Amino acid sequence: MTLFSAVFGRMGQAVVLLFVMSLIGFVGIHAVGNPVFNIVNVETATVEDIQRATIALGLDQPIWRQYLVFAEDLLSGNFGISYVYHLPAFSLVMEKLPATLELAVVAMLLAATLGVLIGLVAGRQPGTRLDRTILRASVFALSIPSFWLSMMLILGGAILAGRFPSGGRGATARLFGSDWSVLTVDGLRHLVLPALALAIPNIALIARLTRAGTIEVEGLDFIRFCRAKGLSPHRILLRHTLPNISVPIVTIIGLQFGGMLAFAVVVETIFAWPGIGKLLIDSIQLLDRPVVMATLTFVSVAFVTLNALVDLFQAVLDPRVRLPRKG
Amino acid sequence: MIAQTLRTWWKWWKWWPFRHNELPKLFLCAYVLLALAAPLLAPQNPYDPTQIFAWEASSAPGTPSGGGYVYWLGTDGLGRDIASTILYGLRISLMVSVISSAIAAAIGLAAGVSAAFFGRWVDIVIMRLVDLQLSLPTMLVALIAIVTLGPSIDRIILALVIVQWAAYARMVRGVALGERGKPYVDAARLLRLPTHRILFRHVLPNSVPPVVTLIPIEIGHAIALEATLSFLGLGVPVDKPSLGSAVANGFQYLLTGQYWISLFPGLALFGLIASINFVGEDLRRRLDPRREPQ
Repeated sequence: MTLFSAVFGRMGQAVVLLFVMSLIGFVGIHAVGNPVFNIVNVETATVEDIQRATIALGLDQPIWRQYLVFAEDLLSGNFGISYVYHLPAFSLVMEKLPATLELAVVAMLLAATLGVLIGLVAGRQPGTRLDRTILRASVFALSIPSFWLSMMLILGGAILAGRFPSGGRGATARLFGSDWSVLTVDGLRHLVLPALALAIPNIALIARLTRAGTIEVEGLDFIRFCRAKGLSPHRILLRHTLPNISVPIVTIIGLQFGGMLAFAVVVETIFAWPGIGKLLIDSIQLLDRPVVMATLTFVSVAFVTLNALVDLFQAVLDPRVRLPRKG
Repeated sequence: MIAQTLRTWWKWWKWWPFRHNELPKLFLCAYVLLALAAPLLAPQNPYDPTQIFAWEASSAPGTPSGGGYVYWLGTDGLGRDIASTILYGLRISLMVSVISSAIAAAIGLAAGVSAAFFGRWVDIVIMRLVDLQLSLPTMLVALIAIVTLGPSIDRIILALVIVQWAAYARMVRGVALGERGKPYVDAARLLRLPTHRILFRHVLPNSVPPVVTLIPIEIGHAIALEATLSFLGLGVPVDKPSLGSAVANGFQYLLTGQYWISLFPGLALFGLIASINFVGEDLRRRLDPRREPQ
């Protein structure tokens, strides 16, 4: 029963959050300027032209009606036609999504495996030279600006070593009606550098979290009991410690995955990876407003949904989580 | 031979007085001094077209200049001295991030203390806003803000404030909630001091220390975010390069092997953020000793 109400409470929270965001977006669009002047020629337009455009855009309606129309368009994915590509903006975003998705998934798999491994190694013997080195390296890794890291990966991996291509998706194969680079060798080679660029800060983040969790759990009674029982350190670490710190790790992976969708903007721009991040930046520079709106809305909704799912997942995994009120 | 050199080096390293936590502080001081003294130190003003020799564009590091100095770090595609660009760019990066952090901290302090002290609907409204902001990735919030506001230096600062204030507000609220129940607040109430006086003269100063640990983290984030936005062409104007746009300027030259245009400004940026993060970590460990076992 509590789980049931928790699920509904959290979902309700996410819906309210999305509602407030749509409200802010609505106000923001109107604060930027009168959209009428986007369609009429300011210099030659007569008063009647402006009047007609206002009615055509529905701006003569009361403000709550305008909001309802706006919200309806959002819900149905109707963001208008791209000024540049002359395609519906939302389908354009959907078309670019697989590229971003596969990049983020590969990067996250890399980050999660390496991060947990490094974190366990460091957390097992806190205070040793190895641990201190890992801790220090993690601060460095978290300090590298992602765009510079990407460029240095290009410099090292593509220009100096000549091993990997510096940009693009390479060959793709079709599956479920979309193109995927992970399915071809050439595509995988193109994927290595951008995935590394996205993964490196996350490796550090996950390693730090795992380390802190390991140190905390290793001091608890049940671990001491395992040790007294004569279990090997490896078995304790992997079978007893790891499951007990898995909840915060899963949480951070979920959150960072949403963050990757947003931060892919930088990496995709540099590696010319044709995903939604590159689409967003290109559209901002070309003043293609429908596409900008569609992309930002999609990423926000995806992030909020992902957040809610992670919270629910926690509640299911860990009965101690009673979804405490934030703040 | 190599092992011997390494061993000697290690010996000296061990005796170096600034080894552990002091080195980042030293670096940070050096950065601030360099930024402050940029006009005195830089051989050319990269924002002044009359001081730039366009025919010396893309010179490799170490090339002598027609102006009687040496391009120790090379020049970029427009002939600007990279070393000078770094010094001037440092000023913009530091200025933007420090100003935005200061404003965000002030707003966060006021909002957090009000939320904790007034409770009820003030608390609800402020904390829902905080939730709204913290539940979205900073990059996304900054992008939305810049797209709506349009890029320029003051807009960047505004966007960074929007990104940062919530973290301060949440922390201050937590601290102030603890402070509210303490005897000195009751005593002040008994003296019938006006609420705003209790709030700003008693509770607020006592809520500041924990916030101090947040400042370096947030400044580090702000520098990185400003650089990223500038890199994407959404930050400071192109003719006044910050470190981020200086790196961006070199992107098209990177593929032809002119690595220095991007490498050195990025290295400077990396060093700056890393030293701030190390100082922040050190500060946090000192003020909150139970967090780390070492």
